Amino acid sequence: MDFNFTDEQEQLRDAVRKWVDKGYDFTRRSSIVKAGGFSREAYGQLAELGLTGLYISEDDGGLGMGPVEGMVVMEELGRGMVLEPLAQTLIAGGVLSNYAPQALKSAWLPNMASGESLVVLAWQERKARYDFEKCEAKAVPAQGGWSLSAIKSIVPAGDEADAFIVPAMADGTLALFLVERAAAGVGTRGYVTQDGGRAAEVMLDNAPALLITRDGLAALAHAIDIGIAATCAEAVGVMDKTLAVTVEYMNTRKQFGVAIATFQALRHRVADMKMQLELARSMSYYASLKLNAPAEERRRALARAKYQMGVSMRFVGQQAVQLHGGIGVTDEYIVSHYFKKLTQLEMTFGDTMHHLGEVSARMQDTAGVFA
Amino acid sequence: MDLAFTPEEQGFREEIRAWVHASLPAEISHKVHNALRLTRDDQQGWAKILGKKGWLGYGWPKQFGGPGWNAVQKHLFEEECALAGAPRIIPFGPVMVAPVIMAFGNAEQQQRFLPGIGSGEVWWSQGYSEPGAGSDLASVKCRAERVGNKYIVNGQKTWTTLGQYGEWIFCLVRTSNEGKPQTGISFLLIDMKSPGVTVRPIKLLDGEAEVNEVWFDNVEVPAENLIGEENKGWTYAKHLLSHERTNIADVNRSKRELERLKRVAKTEGVWDDMRFRDEIARLEVDVVALEMLVLRVLSAEKSGKNSLDIAGLLKIKGSEIQQRYSELMMLAAGPFSLPFIEEAMEAGWQGDFPGGAVANAPLASTYFNLRKTTIYGGSNEVQRNIVSQFVLG
Repeated sequence: MDFNFTDEQEQLRDAVRKWVDKGYDFTRRSSIVKAGGFSREAYGQLAELGLTGLYISEDDGGLGMGPVEGMVVMEELGRGMVLEPLAQTLIAGGVLSNYAPQALKSAWLPNMASGESLVVLAWQERKARYDFEKCEAKAVPAQGGWSLSAIKSIVPAGDEADAFIVPAMADGTLALFLVERAAAGVGTRGYVTQDGGRAAEVMLDNAPALLITRDGLAALAHAIDIGIAATCAEAVGVMDKTLAVTVEYMNTRKQFGVAIATFQALRHRVADMKMQLELARSMSYYASLKLNAPAEERRRALARAKYQMGVSMRFVGQQAVQLHGGIGVTDEYIVSHYFKKLTQLEMTFGDTMHHLGEVSARMQDTAGVFA
Repeated sequence: MDLAFTPEEQGFREEIRAWVHASLPAEISHKVHNALRLTRDDQQGWAKILGKKGWLGYGWPKQFGGPGWNAVQKHLFEEECALAGAPRIIPFGPVMVAPVIMAFGNAEQQQRFLPGIGSGEVWWSQGYSEPGAGSDLASVKCRAERVGNKYIVNGQKTWTTLGQYGEWIFCLVRTSNEGKPQTGISFLLIDMKSPGVTVRPIKLLDGEAEVNEVWFDNVEVPAENLIGEENKGWTYAKHLLSHERTNIADVNRSKRELERLKRVAKTEGVWDDMRFRDEIARLEVDVVALEMLVLRVLSAEKSGKNSLDIAGLLKIKGSEIQQRYSELMMLAAGPFSLPFIEEAMEAGWQGDFPGGAVANAPLASTYFNLRKTTIYGGSNEVQRNIVSQFVLG
């Protein structure tokens, strides 16, 4: 039982933080939002730091690191509200490494590690909400592989990505496929999301697809849990900054002749925000440390973590705006952007009510971290 | 970073578990698991069993006869005791006053008092709160006047937990009215059998007399019972309050009680009611999150790092969880928690409990009793002041 980071992990944290502070400040972020919510150049800089290869083996050109390193990196990116979807790269790296046949790995992993190729998960469907076991997408065998038809929603950077990991029904079971965006029969419709990032509807009409795995349920559940752990870490970074900005404001802003940080009603709210932040940080550790556990244990743990994260994010975000007063609801000031980011993260990979249901359904007779 | 305990820590846990299972009398653990009334003999009996093994002072260093365990080992010991259904160690002697005597008492005081505390032979009480000094503890008025080689003590203490059993009491007394309120307080050990000491139990909302008023009327206390220096008692008291920070979260007991809540919910037929089950699920996450918080503090302590900014959160969350599980257990039984039949809270009662399940008898009383948790040990509002001081300055 040890929650200390290694020196290497601290160095990784420092490197990412330095890039976020110097290379991804609020001004640059705003200009990326204005330009559509995704910058290939910024994504390339993440690749230069080696981050795109985090979950890809050294043999395939990556760093071959694990969930704790993933957590460290995502937390730092959260502090800068970085729009380029590194969580998607962690998912794709994890899924292809664990489930894809060798040919597919060799064709994609080195290019993903170098940042040349961006591969994202296209899983959500209109009728399924967060339930990934419901799937209308269909794949049928075709010459040289498969032919896939689907409509997938809110795919991160969907009109910028080079390929998609797509769940679809094949012979009555859920399987995972890889579809290139440039292929025939692939259409995208891009838009910005509430946090300023980019997403797209992805329409596949008999698009050529390569099979990643027939065991789509296990692979997709794993993919989403990698996503949840990354989202939890990102959320902790955002909340950490949100609280820091709020504290700074409260010690500066004067009303009735004194700093508003002197008012007890507001101080207690800050204590409650700190509580939510630290419960969230604890559960982010828990999520990452359970990411390599057996599937049932992992899914139970990740649902618990995402539920806590949702509760914490909503509280910290809403109270940060409230404690800022009028300036908190302007677009110009940064705190509303943190709030919107937290709101979006709550609805990423399952919202709070969804995961409460997951926890509820998976409860056992025992209790606690080790149950 | 690693969630798992080391093989050494696991081995330690196994050793504790085996010993507790072999040593804890079944009739006592039966009472604890079912929230039945514990007698003084139950409490002290377990304390003496621990004392004989040398584990009542489980936080003590080796030089004072303790096992010299680190923060993680102490946690594992507490966890194994809680899960096995051992009564809580009454903290006033071994957990509260003993570390003060070790840190600030003289050698004579250490030799005189520590053996009786460590063996469980002597029951200690805490004399801190007064009618006018609750959260504002520094405003204590109970007066100790130095006359020759004695102190003459006059005044009143209150909320003295299990003071009706107390043989000795450690008190914050006022020895000076000069300067700041904190600077005129002394730390005095008082024999409760001294003439002029009166203990009056206070009946609480659950019908039990868990706390007492303690009156001092010209009580003579030998000056050698003063700990450290006169007027420095506040410093010693703060040392005491900073001790055993994770202990107050009581997460191990909450784990045990959450398991009990699930059993009650199943027996009472609300487990399959999604509205009810979701409330248990929320509590389940709260307990895991609190346990992670506790483990983070332990890990920091083990590696000598400062964890004060999160340690302050433990009491708030821990106490809220205790209230919540007792609330849900009562609600699970619903109307069948309402009959107030005091005999039904005794082990072995053979009567006919209205509604059937005698396990429901103590649920409402426990709920009422645990309202104390957000009030005592520094109210949760005071805790929020402390947390906000760390965050906002």
